Amino acid sequence: MSATAARSALGHLPDHRTGCVAWRWLRGLKILLPFVALVAAWWAIYLSADFSPQVLVSPLAVWRAFVHLATYGVMAEYASTSLRMIGLAAVLSLLVGVPIGFAVGVNRYAAHALEGFLRFLQGISGIAWLPLAIIWFGFTHTTTLIIVIYTLIVPIIFNTMVGVRAVPETYTLALRSLGASRLRLVKDVYLPGALPSIVVGLRLGMGYGWRALIAAEMLVRKGGLGDLIFGARTFGQIDRIITGMIAIGCLYVVVDRLIVQPIENLTVARWGVLRQ
Amino acid sequence: MSDNQPARRRLPRLSLPGPEVRKIIAGVMLIVLVLFGQQLYGRATAAGRLDAALRGATGPRNVIVVLDFTPDRFHNERVAEYGVFAGRDGALNRLRLRNVTPANLARLADVAWVARIEPLQ
Amino acid sequence: MSMASASERSPMRRALDRLVWRLLPLTPFALVLVAWVVYWAVVRPPPATLPAVQDVVVAMWELAAKGELATHVAASLWRLLLGVLLGVITGVIGGFIVGLNRPIAEFLSPLIVFFNAISGIVWLPLVIGWLGIGTALAVFLIWNTVFFIVFQNTVLGVQLVPQVYEQGVQALGGGRWETIRTVTLPGALPYILTGLRSGLGFGWRALIAAELVGATTGLGQMIFGATEYHRSDIIIGGCLLIGIIAIAMDRWLLLPIERRTIERWGLVFDARKEE
Repeated sequence: MSATAARSALGHLPDHRTGCVAWRWLRGLKILLPFVALVAAWWAIYLSADFSPQVLVSPLAVWRAFVHLATYGVMAEYASTSLRMIGLAAVLSLLVGVPIGFAVGVNRYAAHALEGFLRFLQGISGIAWLPLAIIWFGFTHTTTLIIVIYTLIVPIIFNTMVGVRAVPETYTLALRSLGASRLRLVKDVYLPGALPSIVVGLRLGMGYGWRALIAAEMLVRKGGLGDLIFGARTFGQIDRIITGMIAIGCLYVVVDRLIVQPIENLTVARWGVLRQ
Repeated sequence: MSDNQPARRRLPRLSLPGPEVRKIIAGVMLIVLVLFGQQLYGRATAAGRLDAALRGATGPRNVIVVLDFTPDRFHNERVAEYGVFAGRDGALNRLRLRNVTPANLARLADVAWVARIEPLQ
Repeated sequence: MSMASASERSPMRRALDRLVWRLLPLTPFALVLVAWVVYWAVVRPPPATLPAVQDVVVAMWELAAKGELATHVAASLWRLLLGVLLGVITGVIGGFIVGLNRPIAEFLSPLIVFFNAISGIVWLPLVIGWLGIGTALAVFLIWNTVFFIVFQNTVLGVQLVPQVYEQGVQALGGGRWETIRTVTLPGALPYILTGLRSGLGFGWRALIAAELVGATTGLGQMIFGATEYHRSDIIIGGCLLIGIIAIAMDRWLLLPIERRTIERWGLVFDARKEE
């Protein structure tokens, strides 16, 4: 009873309808309509009072700024810089963080020892280390990359540890008693077992990391969307600031909902038996 | 404990591209569009940009980069990467560049927001 | 196998095990400290790059003695308090209004997802024009961060309260307010508290980021200001302090609240499930 109540409360469409084209268009409309309403409300507010262009601009001005930035190459370059940075940081964080998480997670004592330290590091957000990184590496892309990797890697290590710890000992004991090598154990038991948790850690990390990236770009000012909106502030170009903000939001939603979340869903569906 | 768990995700059908895989494809395509779309468009339309006199150049040339809008500092900086910036040619949207190597000439022609590249007398 | 040996272990051995377990979390910190001291002794880097451990301690002590440290910490915590309070109040009220009303929840959901994606520091360039540099800006950014987290968690909590319980109270003659007060609120409380805990962590991090860019006092500003003079000792000390405050808030403020309320309401629900 509670399961169906929960699902209906969360507004899921029944499954047999998801394939039908009409329903897909309707769902697309359902997503767009609130934004149309928002823009309408914005326009109404803008028209109602006499706002100085330093405070608020009309949606039309924002659209024109977007067209300008997009046509003349600015948006593509700044957006690409940010995307490449988060992508590179994600890959590097996984390459370094997952092995560390594995190495620590298999041992109960090591995991317990590292947990508190990781939480402490997470409390000192990556951004707080930015001044030190600037002293060490200057106002460069390296600085930004290091800060974003720092922000991404902590949840990945943490969740890898949790994932590895969640693998029941019976599975590993069973395979070992049948003569499996260490490598085989990792490949066939630990990795699939921990994978859902790792992907959840990646998703969390991307959320923190994208935010840290924008903040870092605002300070380092070497390209990227954070640089775009902060730079536009210097010239009081509110239309560009809002365009940048919308771009930041849209790109994150695309990466999170169209790439990372589906990967998470697929991983959980395939290997998520151990999740409690 | 087992039956009352709310909303265990249904296994997505993995035979045809299921809804999840379709989302990933769409997402990746959008990202690729953002990353490379303008570059590809620029390269596709490169032929129309280079003035006839400059095609098949074998040595460094002096050119005027013509834009059909008033450039920001961003655009000036990008253009200046391909040669020695030598000021404007009358209007703000005509930029003089000296000593542009043939390789850089080709790269300039690939830039989507450059309107024309004319020879500098 | 291990069961037999556990009962055979002397109480002293067990107490020792517990002590070791307690002290284990300190080992990474100790390792970092040792590595720092060794590196500094061997490589002797310039103080601007990596100060000695004692330099950091001395620098922080000086700031504390001058009263500057207290000013910064107080400014930061004050902004955090205001922002979190506003965020929680608006988040819970908003979350209830939306959570109890399914059509509105469905309508607003895409907007919430989008604004959550840009919550926090992304608003800084826009809002700095409205509110200038200082406390108002920081409080806005914290409110923004905390609101969406608490709001989403509240909505989820409200929606997941089994309808049976609400209908039960209504069948016995309870009005709307009574239902909310006695069923929905306790039912949603675990989620609200999770949201609060998350929000506090996010809010603290957002505060530091906001102060780095746009403030005249506060821990974030203290760190960023020190960059100009290459005072790495202040920067490192400040970062460590930020981390300590984060852990302290989570451990001594939120965990007890969570334990006491969820234990209370959690027990109630477990009993009901068995019925």
